[in-house]
Amino acid sequence: MIEVNNLCKSFGGAKKSLFKKKESPVIALDGLSFTANDGEITGILGPNGAGKTTCLRTLYGLLKADGGSATIDGINVVDNPLAARARLGIFPDKFGLYERLTAYEQIDYFASIHGLTGNAKHQAIEAVINDLDMTELAHRKTLGFSQGQRMKVTLAQALVHQPKNFVLDEPTRGLDVMSTRVLRNYLARFKEKGHCILFSSHVMQEVAALCDRVIIVANGKLAAQGTPKELCELAGEVQLEEAFVKIIGSDEGVAA
Amino acid sequence: MIQFKALLSKELKEAFRDKRAMMMAMTMAVMAPVMIFAMSKVMIKEAVETPAIYFKISGAEYAPKLINALKDENILLFKDVPSNKRAIWDERNLTLTIPETFNENMLDGKPIELYLSADYSDKANLSPVRRIKNTIMHYARAIGYKRLLVRGIDVRLLQVVKIIEQDTSLPNSNAMIISMMLGLYVLMAAFMSGLPVAIDTSAGERERNVLEMLLCQPVSTVKIVSAKLCCASLIACIGVLLTLSLTTFSVGFIDLTKIGASFSLDAFTISALILLLLPICFFASALQLFVAFQSKNFKEAQSMVSMIIMLPAMVPVVMMFVDDKPKWLDWLPISGQSLIMEDLFKGLPVSWALIGFTSLVTISMTIILVLLMAKKLRSETVVLALS
Repeated sequence: MIEVNNLCKSFGGAKKSLFKKKESPVIALDGLSFTANDGEITGILGPNGAGKTTCLRTLYGLLKADGGSATIDGINVVDNPLAARARLGIFPDKFGLYERLTAYEQIDYFASIHGLTGNAKHQAIEAVINDLDMTELAHRKTLGFSQGQRMKVTLAQALVHQPKNFVLDEPTRGLDVMSTRVLRNYLARFKEKGHCILFSSHVMQEVAALCDRVIIVANGKLAAQGTPKELCELAGEVQLEEAFVKIIGSDEGVAA
Repeated sequence: MIQFKALLSKELKEAFRDKRAMMMAMTMAVMAPVMIFAMSKVMIKEAVETPAIYFKISGAEYAPKLINALKDENILLFKDVPSNKRAIWDERNLTLTIPETFNENMLDGKPIELYLSADYSDKANLSPVRRIKNTIMHYARAIGYKRLLVRGIDVRLLQVVKIIEQDTSLPNSNAMIISMMLGLYVLMAAFMSGLPVAIDTSAGERERNVLEMLLCQPVSTVKIVSAKLCCASLIACIGVLLTLSLTTFSVGFIDLTKIGASFSLDAFTISALILLLLPICFFASALQLFVAFQSKNFKEAQSMVSMIIMLPAMVPVVMMFVDDKPKWLDWLPISGQSLIMEDLFKGLPVSWALIGFTSLVTISMTIILVLLMAKKLRSETVVLALS
């Protein structure tokens, strides 16, 4: 379970230096609150620059919020970051690969960091490699991998330790149709097992098909939340895309 | 522990698979024997031989015996210069003027004034001028002594005070320059060898967006930093050990006895050196990692870290000019090590306690750097390279 409570974050403008004039800060998060429950897939929607990635980064402790709190399974990410991160599987927005390691070694590395050892580790790696259909890639060095292949490796290293909570920042960008389907099935399976899945996306069909609940973020604030159906009803549209545009576009009336 | 092992093994795998970085790391080591060999060859040649000097003269006919005395010391007249060296000696323009009255004053026992003109600021002229002066002085003194003797005066009357010099430096000290160079060189090797790995693992990883991913994992930053430090300093240690062993091997081929020097790297010296240099490897890598993490991108890291290399080159040189060295210089990293190494190469007794203490200071400074870095890595400005 992931809970975000009244999160605030702004960049720049905090420091006044001798040579620069004080710039007005960019407010990325302005009191965002939401909850992603166990056994549900929660989607975060929002236009570019709405604060989705900032919010997710705060969740995995890369950024420190100016105000508010975030908890993972009840553990505050600021007070006890290591314990909180141990319960997370992360697919970040910016990711790179260790290009001198093979895909297998890389997944192995992250599995070890999460404390897996010996046979259990080996089985976990084999399982995730099979699930994501990347047996052929496993023992190649990751230098020269295509975008989709890189995504798969990153996904595999996020999922290998079977975390209770997933935080995925646009996990399907660059994936081909087959891989997207594999990922969707994968996420659905974890949902059945009672895991909490939070992901951001720009693909409306995907969100509509996959998500139990949708959170719409605009200007660092919660604009609306509910099931896709509820959102459509709220905006009085049939398609989620139309509803989304309407909710974002007119923050008076609808979102109130 | 599982985490640290995984971190370290990944760092090592990456480092050793980076062929270019490894090559750069080992160049220093491979260059060492070549440099030592070439430098000592040149130095021995300069010290042993007395190459011919050609000087211009006016009034040679007034003092043929003096000219002969000079000739015995391989100091020759400009008219005899071989054509291929003519231009060089013409430019140096060493001129000796012998006055017309040479013979007359000699007979009368009056002082004779010879004029030696040369550009004294030209380093190439130093040794010729010195040799010419010495030869003429010797010649003159011999005549002076004879004058006193024929008058029945004991020449020892001239020596009112006689200083008996006792040089307490050991025979090894003559190899000073070689050992100074070697000391400087191994310090440089400690800084250079780990450099490519240190930059790649810090600023490089951040630029490739893998550091961010790692920092989102449930692993303490102290572990991350120490794994990176261990890896970079291990490479630095390998570089230093390789430099030392290749140097020991190559010094055997140089005949230092010609200049009356002996230079040996025996088991004691080597073990003391290793004890001195290993902490420096850690300190150097920690410093490089620290600066690389501080800089905003890979390029900035490269140029900033290159400046750190100036440290081992500059500190010993600066210390040569400090005559009364304050005690704390013995304890600081780099300066302490270079002072102890100087004593070690001179063959002076070195106290193990001092070596231990210097190493201790170096290691504790390394630990402080590690903790500082670990703290930095928890702040978003460093992780995301925000200004």
